[in-house]
Amino acid sequence: MSKEIKRIILALIVFCSCFVSLIVYISYIQIFQGETLKNNSYNKRLWINEESILRGSILDRNGKTLVYSEKKGNGYIRNYLYGRLYSHVIGYSYREYGKSGLELQYNNALLNINENAAINEIKNLVAPTTEGNTIKLTVDHELQSKVRSLLKGKKGSIVAMNPNSGEIYAMVSIPDFDVSNLKEDWKEISENPNSPLLNRATQGLYPPGSTFKLITAIAALETVGLDESYDCVGSANIGGYIFKDYGENVHGQIDLKEALTKSCNTYFTEKAIQIGKDKIGTVADRFMINSKIPFDLPTKSSQFPYRENLGKTEIAASAIGQGKVLVTPLNMALIGSALGNGGQVVKPILVKEIISKDGKVLKTNSTEILAQGVDIIRANEIKDMMVEVIRSGTGTNARIKNVKVAGKTGTAENSSGKNHAWFVGFAPADNPKVAVAVVLEEEGSTGGKTAAPIARDIMLYVINNIND
Amino acid sequence: MFNKAIRGKSPRSLLFIFEVLSLFLLFVYQNTRVDRFTIMTGIGLILIISLSNYLLIKISSGDNYIFLIVTMLISIGTIMIYRIDEGLGIKQLIWLSMGILLFFMTYFFVKYIKGWQNWIYLYVGASYILFFMTFILGSRKKGAINWINLGNFSFQPAEITKLLIVFILSSYYANISKWKEIKNASYYLMGVIYSFILLLFLQRDLGMAMIFYLIFISIQFIYEEDRKLIIYNIGLLIIGGIIGYTMFDHVKIRFQAWINPWKYIDRQGYQITQSLFAIAEGGFFGKGLGLGHPYFIPEVYTDFIFSAICEEMGIFTGIGIIMLYMILVYRGFKIAISQEETFFRILALGISILFGVQSLIILGGVLKMIPLTGITLPFISYGGSSILSSFIALGILQVSSEEISLRRVQDEQRD
Repeated sequence: MSKEIKRIILALIVFCSCFVSLIVYISYIQIFQGETLKNNSYNKRLWINEESILRGSILDRNGKTLVYSEKKGNGYIRNYLYGRLYSHVIGYSYREYGKSGLELQYNNALLNINENAAINEIKNLVAPTTEGNTIKLTVDHELQSKVRSLLKGKKGSIVAMNPNSGEIYAMVSIPDFDVSNLKEDWKEISENPNSPLLNRATQGLYPPGSTFKLITAIAALETVGLDESYDCVGSANIGGYIFKDYGENVHGQIDLKEALTKSCNTYFTEKAIQIGKDKIGTVADRFMINSKIPFDLPTKSSQFPYRENLGKTEIAASAIGQGKVLVTPLNMALIGSALGNGGQVVKPILVKEIISKDGKVLKTNSTEILAQGVDIIRANEIKDMMVEVIRSGTGTNARIKNVKVAGKTGTAENSSGKNHAWFVGFAPADNPKVAVAVVLEEEGSTGGKTAAPIARDIMLYVINNIND
Repeated sequence: MFNKAIRGKSPRSLLFIFEVLSLFLLFVYQNTRVDRFTIMTGIGLILIISLSNYLLIKISSGDNYIFLIVTMLISIGTIMIYRIDEGLGIKQLIWLSMGILLFFMTYFFVKYIKGWQNWIYLYVGASYILFFMTFILGSRKKGAINWINLGNFSFQPAEITKLLIVFILSSYYANISKWKEIKNASYYLMGVIYSFILLLFLQRDLGMAMIFYLIFISIQFIYEEDRKLIIYNIGLLIIGGIIGYTMFDHVKIRFQAWINPWKYIDRQGYQITQSLFAIAEGGFFGKGLGLGHPYFIPEVYTDFIFSAICEEMGIFTGIGIIMLYMILVYRGFKIAISQEETFFRILALGISILFGVQSLIILGGVLKMIPLTGITLPFISYGGSSILSSFIALGILQVSSEEISLRRVQDEQRD
């Protein structure tokens, strides 16, 4: 081949690579940036319907108005009646800052426009839309206010839900921000190192601490031939790392139930090695850890990367909710619900109904089962252990008079040096009406001491006030 | 027989089906006001394209894929322009008819006139005349003085100069043995080309300057024996870029809009962000013809037509278009390699590089992959002089795809 032909071919290769990189780049934009670009507030397509359509209201489960729009001059203005209370649930819709939360996810419903542009076009020919739909949440406004006041001055998140239907009664993430005052606060909000814009309930990833022992305990029950007894001496050397029990406790001769009740670290770290990471991992998978929880708001997946090559120490640490395990509060609430309802992981629901302007219910979100987390017999076994946690173990602060409460506390070490305090539980244990997950971020105290009493107040409120 | 059947006929019928379907979609979109005009335009488009494809096979013994590729591109382009603005769509159809006519004229003109490789001084002279005409008669559009108005008709002289530069490079390197007798001839050539680039820079036509530069350096890379010239060229680009950035505001603005358009979203970043929104809105399969909002993008008929296509037809069509350009360039290079005559070989290379570079610059620009410089997307964008010059270029490429013997002519001249 002559030099000339070689160079021609080289030039052709350069050109073709340029074209191919264009193709790669356009696909990259579409796949990885498409959604963000579409939802950018400068994208006029988002607002094209906004000028002619009255955006629908948002109500709580009892029909109380939380957000509504009204005509003012040529346009419409949106009134957020409870600026801070729903900053992560309902979110906001402003031309300057875009949309977030349900305002974003249910934008089409609120404006009564169809996702399919073609159908929309035809619909507009027949009868142009002037008024959007109302959406009715599963949230109880009174409880939501109560939960927020319980979290006041702290950092963290609480999810309270119906363990059978999956309806979310309250979902709070602190720090929050005032949606009705976004213009003045925007700079402070967006620069705040505590990231108030983050919905910790669905997107905050925390080490679960001892609450993860629920998963390890299920794995232990499912492991055939596992010796459930153990002699706790207060510390255990696993793979060269010494695990200690909280407060230098020595639990002595214990079985699984006692281990969970007293939240014995050494028990679970030793047993985790015998159970194996894959067994614990598959149980975690069935409870939606490592997978995306379908929800009305964006979620992050909890993670337990057990398929990776983990050392003994890492496996042991993961079994007690440290190490490689990270979970969202929503996921923990689902685990609590499943243990309360006989083992079924229910799909969380935040929007109950979409109602048209003339009061017709257009869509009802009904209960769906995502997975069978554990069979009913073992679920009940774990439930009995959780009742014991509240009766005589680490969770006594969650006790309610005349109501059998089930729960598990957790105290998660993290890089900040101050522990996260956790509580996951449900009540009444035999016929649960509410499941709750509480995480107090960098609280610097134990879950039993600070998270359990908060969970108790929430459960008590639901039992007394919410009837379904 | 079998060979003949797959050579051109079946892609032609696929193209026909595509046109009929997309025009049908257009009618559906217009269902409230289907008029005779739309139908006539549609029939016109199909007729022009089918007829010229048919004719070409009869006339030319060369490559008949390049014209097929181009007809696919113009089909997509015209339908999109018609959807955005019916008046412009009809005008575009007129331009296309003229373009195709010009394509055939160029074909015969270039084929039957001999001696193209000997007129380098004519090409250089004509280029300078066109440049100075622009400065004297030119009017300013979007900050660039690169248009001449002749009555109702305005045209961009650089669209012709970009073809002349290909002729200059071809006649120079085809006769390199003759030019070698003159000391430093390649430096003179470089001087001439750089004077063009500088003039374009002064007219603020950055996109065209970029095209000139890339054609030059590509041809030089293949044919220049003095390799250090290429290094000088790259050095000059860097120096030129730095000087341009520091001295000219319009260069700086484009660069900033590329680095972070979101920061300047109300000003210099406006166009590019609107383009990205459109592409993102389209998704993989598009919103559907007539169902997007391409009006939001400024200059959507010309520079940003690709974004509008992506919004309504999806990035699958977008990727298809990119691939069509890639095949066009590939066919062009293949034509060059099989062409025996050096002059026509370089001509074919130059034209292919021109198509490749021009589409890469504007496609990369609207995708924010490289800084945006306003040039048209060949065969798709609306625009008279762009369409005409692209078809002239295609005519030249068509001639180059045939067996040509100049040797006899040259021999006679030597006697």
